[in-house]
This record gives sequence, C-alpha cells and structure tokens, in this order.
Amino acid sequence: MLLLPSLLMTTVLFIAPVAWTLYAAFTDLHLFRVGVETEWVGLYNFQKLLASSSFWRTVKNTVVFMLGVVPLQFVIGMVLAVCLDNITRGLKLFRTWFLMPLMMSPVVVAFVIGRMLFQEDIGPINSLIRWLGFEGVPWLTHPNWAMFTIMVIDVWQWSSFMTLMLMAGLQGVPYDLREAASIDGASFWQTFVRITMPLVLPIAATALLIRIIDAFKVVDIIMVLTGGGPGQATESVTLAIYRAGVKGGDLAFGSSQAYFLLVVMVVFGGAFLVLTRRTMSQTKD
Amino acid sequence: MKVSTQRRFIRAVSYAILITWSLALVFPMYWVVITSLKNPVDMSVKATFLPFIDFEPGLHAWRYLFVERLAWFMQPFSNSIVVAFISSGIALVVGSMAGYALARFDFSGKNNSIVLGFMAQRMFPGALFILAFLVMFRELKLLDTRTALVIVYAAGSIPFIVWVMRDFFEGLPIEIEESALIDGANRLVVIFRIAMPLAAPGLVAVFVLSLIGAWNEYIVALTLTFRDAITIPLFMQMQVSLTGYTEWWNMSAISLVGVIPVVVAGMALEKYITSGLTFGALKG
Repeated sequence: MLLLPSLLMTTVLFIAPVAWTLYAAFTDLHLFRVGVETEWVGLYNFQKLLASSSFWRTVKNTVVFMLGVVPLQFVIGMVLAVCLDNITRGLKLFRTWFLMPLMMSPVVVAFVIGRMLFQEDIGPINSLIRWLGFEGVPWLTHPNWAMFTIMVIDVWQWSSFMTLMLMAGLQGVPYDLREAASIDGASFWQTFVRITMPLVLPIAATALLIRIIDAFKVVDIIMVLTGGGPGQATESVTLAIYRAGVKGGDLAFGSSQAYFLLVVMVVFGGAFLVLTRRTMSQTKD
Repeated sequence: MKVSTQRRFIRAVSYAILITWSLALVFPMYWVVITSLKNPVDMSVKATFLPFIDFEPGLHAWRYLFVERLAWFMQPFSNSIVVAFISSGIALVVGSMAGYALARFDFSGKNNSIVLGFMAQRMFPGALFILAFLVMFRELKLLDTRTALVIVYAAGSIPFIVWVMRDFFEGLPIEIEESALIDGANRLVVIFRIAMPLAAPGLVAVFVLSLIGAWNEYIVALTLTFRDAITIPLFMQMQVSLTGYTEWWNMSAISLVGVIPVVVAGMALEKYITSGLTFGALKG
C-alpha cells in the first residue's frame, strides 16, 4: 500500500517513456506531423544513424569528453582526499567548501567560468596571459580549445564529488593499519599503494561509475558555452538528440540516437565493471 | 624523530594543495561577485580585478534586477522555487513511505530487487526520456506548465529517496514501533508519529538533495518549457543565447541569485548532505 504511489509514478514516468522511446525508434513518428498513420520502418533509423558521420562525431565528442574528465577528476579527487586525510585542523571547513560546486547549477558554472573567466577579449584569464606577454587563447572559438574549456568546467565542478566519496572510503581504512605500516618502515607512497588503495577500491569504483554515467549525459555546459560549436566540435549525443527530436521534431530518429547512447553507456560501464572486478580479485591475493 | 619530520612535511604539503584547490574554487565566485558590481565601462576595454582600485563598484546591476526588471526576473525565480519545493515535497512523502515499506515489510522476499529496480533508473540517460515526455505532456496539454516539471522531478527524485530512506529506516530500532502497535496505534500513526521523526536527519538530507537536483535540472526543463514555466537555469541559458554578447554585470547578479539559495542550504547542512550524497552512492 505504501509502495504503490512510488511504483505507480515510476511506471508512468520511467517504464512507459523508455518503452515508448524503444517503439518510436522503429517507426517514422514525427512531432509536427499530425493525422498521418505512423508506420513501422524496421531498422531504418538505426541504419541512418550508423551511416551519419555527424552522429558519429557527437559520439566521439561524448566519449572524448568522458575519457578526459573522469580520470582527471579521479586523480584530483584522490589527491585532495588524501590531503584531507592527513590534516585535522580546518578539516570541516575544507569539506564544507568543497561541497560548494556540487550544489551549483552546471548552467551557472558554465556561464561564470566559461563565458566570463575564459572570455577571449577581456576575460581575466586571457588578460593575464597577455600581460605575461603571450597570445590570448581562443578558449571557445577553436575546436580543440572549446572542448578543453568544457572539460575544465566539468573538472572544476565535479572533482569535489570524488573527494567526498573517497574521503568516506579513507575513513573506513583503519588508522592502526597505516600506522603499523609506517612504523615498519613503509614510505608514505608504499602505504598508500599497498594498504590504502586496495581498501578504497570498491568505493572508488562506485564513484568512478557514477561519474562515467554522468559524463555521458553531458549537455547543459555545452549548450551554454558553445551550443555544440564551433562547427560540431563540441556537440554531445544528448545535444544531438535534443536537436533532432525536440527542435527538429524527428522523434523516431531522436529515439534511435537515445538508445544508441544507452548502448554506448552500457558498453563502457560494463567494461569498466569487468576491469575493476579483475583488479579487485588481483589485489586480494 | 624521522617519522614525525616526515609527517609534518606531508601535512604542510597537504595544506598547500588544499588551499590551492580552495582558491581555484573561490576565484570564479570572487569574479562573479565583483562583476555584478561593475559598470559597463569597467568591462569595455580590459579586465578589472580589484574593486575600488581598478574600478568603482556600483549596485546598478542589482537595481536593474530587483527594481527595474523585477517581474521579468521574478517569474523564472518563483517557478524554480515552486517547482523545486513541491516536487521535492511529493517525492519525500511518496519515496519515504516506500522506503519505510521496504524496510519493514516483506514483499515475498523481493525487497532487494525492488530497491535495485528503483536504483537502476539512475543509470538511464535523460535523453531517453525527453522525447516521450514531450509527446506525453503535449497530449495532456501540460507543455510549458510548472505541473509538468513538478511531476517529472518528483518521479525523478523518488528512486534516490527510496534507496537512502530504506536503509535509514532499517537502522532504526523496531521495538518502539512494535510496542506502539501493541498499544493499539495504527500503522499510519506509527509511521508519521514515530518513524518519520526519528528519521528526520535522513529526511532532511534527501529533501535538500532533491531540492538541489530540481533547482539545477536542465534538459527536461529545456524540453518541456519555453516561456511561462521556465526555471532559472533555462532562463540563464536563454539570456546568454539571446544576447550573445552578454551583459555580464546583470548576468552575474542573476547567477548569484540562482546559486546562493541552494549553496547556502547545502553548506549549512553540510553534514547531512555529505552523508546523503556519499551514502546514497555507496550502499551499492
């Protein structure tokens, strides 16, 4: 009885849309065309998609973005978590402060950092670069730099998430264990690799998986910063789906792209899980 | 002796790194605050860094926002407030009831699968839903309404709330509830008078987290709303796209108003939020 409302809501707003989208991907459904029979088109949308170089470009952009931000966030997050683990005074202050970017809307973050700090003519970063005697960097107007700027923004915002997760993991590693290791003459680095890291691994894997999934969904920062440009250099799959399905009204084609994105996510997520499983069983020995 | 020198060194390095990162986090905030106090002339030629030295700060952007264009700005702002609070409220009631049910009753041994089923929804990309939502809410004649956003956001927060609250309720002692039941209280009274108050810390955490989620959500709002029901993130992005060359001082003021409420709430409840965030993610 108590469960019913949630089951109802998730059925209507989760299972039904997912099923409908699957159905739409095999039809010629169009948003602006009313009164015409919808027809089955089999795999037509998927054929169209696989043949579309501009779609592959968005897949590539999304994967590049994910591979660029997640490892970096992990490294920064880990360094910060270890640092936090070494200190006592000010710990709470840093933890609270690190929470700040996680509360913020990516749209605002993208605007403030990308549009204001990285503004090419009179933004503070280019001003400093010029003051140092170099050329200003085309942060948003050059294809590769635009992708880089988008990544910087995501890293700025989400590294703290890794930090907080890994902090929770580090707190679970008994201090005695590390103490004992360091008394036995293990260096800081040895203790970290041999004792801390294996024990934190399960949490690290979860944090990484969450960030991998989120990175595949990226759209808001791109929308604010470049709108996918210059050209198609920063267009993500989600942006392409929005353009095709919502703006263009081609529900069928958009739906097939959405399912393709899901497949890409499952492939990467699955590969990641297999990889961590293997690492974990190795470190156990 | 050697150990303590090494430890002191490590601690010093740790502080240096932490402070560096903190400054990296501060700088954009500093910049947006001073920009909201700049006059157009302060930004026309070169970047200015220090108020009173580089430029004369003024409140004209804030006056523009809160006096001249109040109605224009208040609409998305109030949309955000209404949508975030109502959707989170609904999700909290519905989700925590389900969490309670899954903690206290046996659904023919399937409790864990049900919870996992809820959680699996997190994995799906938003892009998989927006087209279906668009058609669905068009049929319901709910496009560009706050109702549509409330419904979607509430449903979106429920899985996370179920996930966290189920564990929270499982951690509460069952004896109090049992003795109340024996004394003749009915189940609903037990839930709302005993279990929910005891679970208050968890409820606060999930409520604020879903509030923040709804406040910052973008892609669904982009799909379902376009004029009357737009929320702050959408409003901001529209302003950026519309003006192209943006009025930075005004946009800065809007940015600040858009993030301050949730950032302050989140940081004030740091303990709950961090545990909610990590706990929700970690119980895997």
